[in-house]
Amino acid sequence: MTAASLTRAGADPRRLLKALVSQEALLAIAVIGLAIAVGFYNPRFLATRNLSDVLLGNAYIAVAAVGMSMVIISGNIDISVGSLIGVLATVSGTLAVDGAPIIVTWLAPLVVGMLVMALQGAIVAYLRIPAIVVTLGMLSILKGGLISATGGKWITDLPDSFHLADIEIFGLLPMPVFLMILAAFLAAFWMRYSASGRAIYAVGGNAEAARLCGISQPRTIVMVFALHGFFAGIAALLYATQLRVIQSTVPPNLELTIITAAVVGGVSILGGVGTVIGSTLAAVLIAEIASALVFTDVSPYWIRAVQGALILITVIADILRRRRMAGA
Amino acid sequence: MSEIPLPSTVKRVAPWWLIRHETMLAAILLVALIVLGALNNRFLTLDNLLNQGRLTTEVGLIALPMTFIIIAGGIDLSVGSIVGLCAIMLGYSWKNFGFPLPLAICFSLGIGAAAGFFNGLVITKVKVPPLIMTIATLALYRGFAEGISQAHSVRGYPEWFYFIGQSDLIGVPAQLWLLLIAIVVAGIALDRTTFGRTLYAIGNNETAARFSGLAVDRVKLIIYTLSGLMAGLSACVLVSRVTTTRSDMGIGYELDVIAAVVLGGTSIFGGLGTIWGTIVGLAMIQLLKDGLALTGVKGDATIVVIGAVLILSTLVASSLQRRRDGV
Amino acid sequence: MTMATDTHSETPALPLLSVRALEKSFPGVRALSGVSFDVARGEVHALLGENGAGKSTLIKIVSGVFPPDRGEVIVDGTSVNLARPDDARRAGIATIYQELLLFPELTVAENVFMGHAPRAGAGRLDWRAMRDKTKELLASLEIHDLYADRVVGSLSVGNRQRVEILRALSQDARILIMDEPTAALTEYDVTRLFDIVRRLKARGVAVIYISHRLDEIFAIADRVTVLRDGAHIATKRVADTEAAELVQLMVGRKIESLFPKIAVPIGEPVLEVKDLERRPLTKGISLTVRAGEIVGLAGLVGSGRSELAQTIFGVTPAEGGEIKIRGHAVDIRSPAQARALGIAYVPEDRGTQGLVRPMTVRENFSLAALGKVAVGGFIDRAAERKLAADGVKRFAVKTSSLEQIAGKLSGGNQQKIVLGKWLANQPKLLILDEPTRGIDVGAKAEIHRLMGELAAQGLAILMISSELPEVLGMSDRVLVMREGRIVAEFSREDASQESVGAAMMGSHDNAEKAA
Repeated sequence: MTAASLTRAGADPRRLLKALVSQEALLAIAVIGLAIAVGFYNPRFLATRNLSDVLLGNAYIAVAAVGMSMVIISGNIDISVGSLIGVLATVSGTLAVDGAPIIVTWLAPLVVGMLVMALQGAIVAYLRIPAIVVTLGMLSILKGGLISATGGKWITDLPDSFHLADIEIFGLLPMPVFLMILAAFLAAFWMRYSASGRAIYAVGGNAEAARLCGISQPRTIVMVFALHGFFAGIAALLYATQLRVIQSTVPPNLELTIITAAVVGGVSILGGVGTVIGSTLAAVLIAEIASALVFTDVSPYWIRAVQGALILITVIADILRRRRMAGA
Repeated sequence: MSEIPLPSTVKRVAPWWLIRHETMLAAILLVALIVLGALNNRFLTLDNLLNQGRLTTEVGLIALPMTFIIIAGGIDLSVGSIVGLCAIMLGYSWKNFGFPLPLAICFSLGIGAAAGFFNGLVITKVKVPPLIMTIATLALYRGFAEGISQAHSVRGYPEWFYFIGQSDLIGVPAQLWLLLIAIVVAGIALDRTTFGRTLYAIGNNETAARFSGLAVDRVKLIIYTLSGLMAGLSACVLVSRVTTTRSDMGIGYELDVIAAVVLGGTSIFGGLGTIWGTIVGLAMIQLLKDGLALTGVKGDATIVVIGAVLILSTLVASSLQRRRDGV
Repeated sequence: MTMATDTHSETPALPLLSVRALEKSFPGVRALSGVSFDVARGEVHALLGENGAGKSTLIKIVSGVFPPDRGEVIVDGTSVNLARPDDARRAGIATIYQELLLFPELTVAENVFMGHAPRAGAGRLDWRAMRDKTKELLASLEIHDLYADRVVGSLSVGNRQRVEILRALSQDARILIMDEPTAALTEYDVTRLFDIVRRLKARGVAVIYISHRLDEIFAIADRVTVLRDGAHIATKRVADTEAAELVQLMVGRKIESLFPKIAVPIGEPVLEVKDLERRPLTKGISLTVRAGEIVGLAGLVGSGRSELAQTIFGVTPAEGGEIKIRGHAVDIRSPAQARALGIAYVPEDRGTQGLVRPMTVRENFSLAALGKVAVGGFIDRAAERKLAADGVKRFAVKTSSLEQIAGKLSGGNQQKIVLGKWLANQPKLLILDEPTRGIDVGAKAEIHRLMGELAAQGLAILMISSELPEVLGMSDRVLVMREGRIVAEFSREDASQESVGAAMMGSHDNAEKAA
């Protein structure tokens, strides 16, 4: 098919080309490409054990990135999610140790996560306090609260049935990967085919225009934060159930890793654009990079610098692209 | 449109609301001092208060340029990471490059200024919003700190270096003198110079400031560079006080700094604020921490309170401002 | 040709939209005082008036942005209560604003259907139906070069506007309001817009067309309503009137409020501009302004006058051509540079560009001249107060004190502060952009008197104004701009409402060609 015939058929040839170089495709290529490159250097990187560890151990970040993407697309930001995940994991674990029914221990983080995030969303949306301030404050409240409540103790003696992450769907697919894929696809579907899902893009793209289309900005923001809390709850659950113990802290700067995944995944920090498929792929890529650092004898202590550089490059590219588009 | 003349009852004088906020805060501070003093008789001793002053310095030095930045409508979340980076570079250049310590100190300050300058450059030239830029550099600079240090800490500095962090000069902790000088300079700059006036103009209406011929971009570059420089200075004071450098230094500083600035009456939306207010805010936060500690609340729990204070003070300030403008 | 003001021409059948006795006031300003007119089915009704005449207030009321203080809006015979934009939409009223309200990262189809997208089974969005319906709408308007899947941000302004029109149609708008639709369009896009408007007419859609461009009004409109100072002046059939009459109705106020012109010796050139270029609206401008001279720059809204001023002032630096200040060639890249060269610019939008409203009178007065009241970077409070006090006295600024917040003053006083702040610098070239817009008669006269004094002191003044009496009364020479170029120059003797007005609007030949 020539470009001319495509045009006559009503299709936009540029769209096809765009699909090929879309952020998602590029990320997928990067994931595979990096694996091959590092594999050349150190074949042990490609061992099934390693790849599955990387994937299983970091799936929860991808799940959290789904919610974070929604928040950023709506034009906001959240830096409290890392501490929230820590709190939710502890809540879940404590309930389990105290003998609550397993289903309750699994649902509790989802509900609490939604409530805490919805509260923040309400403060941002209705009281008009900038999201950065609210979530910065909440980050400390949660972090400090967790430490003082647990006294730094780890939770051990978890009942066996608690470990959600050990379950394998159809005996094949480990739960973390399953949930990661499920979350990504469900969220992607919802954000594409539901009016409230599209409202997120509208509010993030042009809040004034959205208002005139009948979309309520405050309600959309509260909804987005609540959903973000829901996914944070799932992430917390995965995090809590993958080891035999629940630590009293989460990996440092967890929220930053999650934000990096969203931004590198194509979610523009200025709002209005991005997909959760992209952020899931980016989360996988970041986890892969962290592991690659170990296997290529580069110190793993450089991972944070890599994250920062990734955010910076992606954001600068996005801003330049927007300026070029606006000038056109 | 035909104009109806405005009623002449409008007699509001410019920052009168602000003055009221700060005096209110100072009054609360006074009350808190008295209450805490009553609750615990170790509290109001000169010794304790001076020691509190010592501990406030590190955050205080950074809160000064942060006040400038927030007044001008920006924000800098990377300050904590710059502290970590500068601390590491101090140790690294002294130990690994073999710099004599004074040179290492200058080098470390230079790194801080460079880090701040980079922030300012991308913010003004590429026009990345300050929030995003400094979140990215929060990661990047911390990453450099961790990567360069490989989580090794450096110890064994010469004795004279600990003077700044641990000793007293005429009975007052040495670094407190540093802070006091910085406060005076910053306060005068903000209140009485064209530079300070430019900051308020940018924060209130950046377009009009540009149209009036003010060097908006240059000023922004200066304040972010200052922020980095002060973070570097704070790092040196910190290392001097705790006698070691570690890559996790400065974590969470941005919370304390921003909370102090906002509590002190600086509006997060820009255009409003004073150094005096920031100092009162700093004092209140330190007081809070100390008071909590003396009543047995452990260190980590105090950040709960600081976080709550940040949100609440923004809420109060925001609703007061709305009432002021909306009449 | 009748010069009598027949206030209303006959409306053939029951009007589709009717506004009756609309009144609206804001603090300090009466925006609309009893405006009534109607629009029939399939009619293109132009709304004409200077800036501040009340057009945008009227439009916002009809669009449901805010309610009128008094009066009613009647759609198809039924009085409607338009409390929210949604109400207007449901009544079949769609508005296309100058700042297009689109989502740049989303596709054309999604923009068209945002908020009312077609659904498939189980309530999910039907993307295929969205695309197909968009294609149908495009075809119905004979638009073949716009694709439903394109991202709006990558479209030209002309195409973006078409997306907005599609949006209106997708909601079965019966009344389409277009606010300055051609302000940012190329001539080609304007022609295509007219095609679309004619198709809409044929379908019975009523179009309210707000524009300053008289040639377009004569090309496309059936009737025209003129507003002035918030009041309805006249409604005429386009065929029954001509440009000169409309200009007279729009602008027609007595000229006695202007200060008589003093003859002032004209000196050396202060500003010389040659072939100045800057996208999109400064195309090969050459002009000269001499010391003691007042050069009036006339033109319709969107002709590029403010853009020219901002290029000379360094806000949007030139991309080609030459500027000479007092004989020296200069490259002006920023307002700070312009100021250092002795150029002052009193901008069009005093609220956003001229004043820092939350700051005090004193602080605003010194804003452009901080160097003058500061020693080594330190502001001398006493000097600053004196500067402000002198300014308040000299310009008769009515304020209760120097510490009064500038934003609380009336428009006229605010403008005086902006003017005063620049004069504190003792500039050599003063560029004024709509210096007396939205200001009461008394303050206007004062500002004109001031301008005369400044010229007598040797200042070179370039005055951009859309008020013909002001241009004619104050200028030594009048330049007319249209679509980014200078199209005419008149000496004081030769300039008249007819000659300048005709140059501003462009010839009637163009209008007939487009019809």
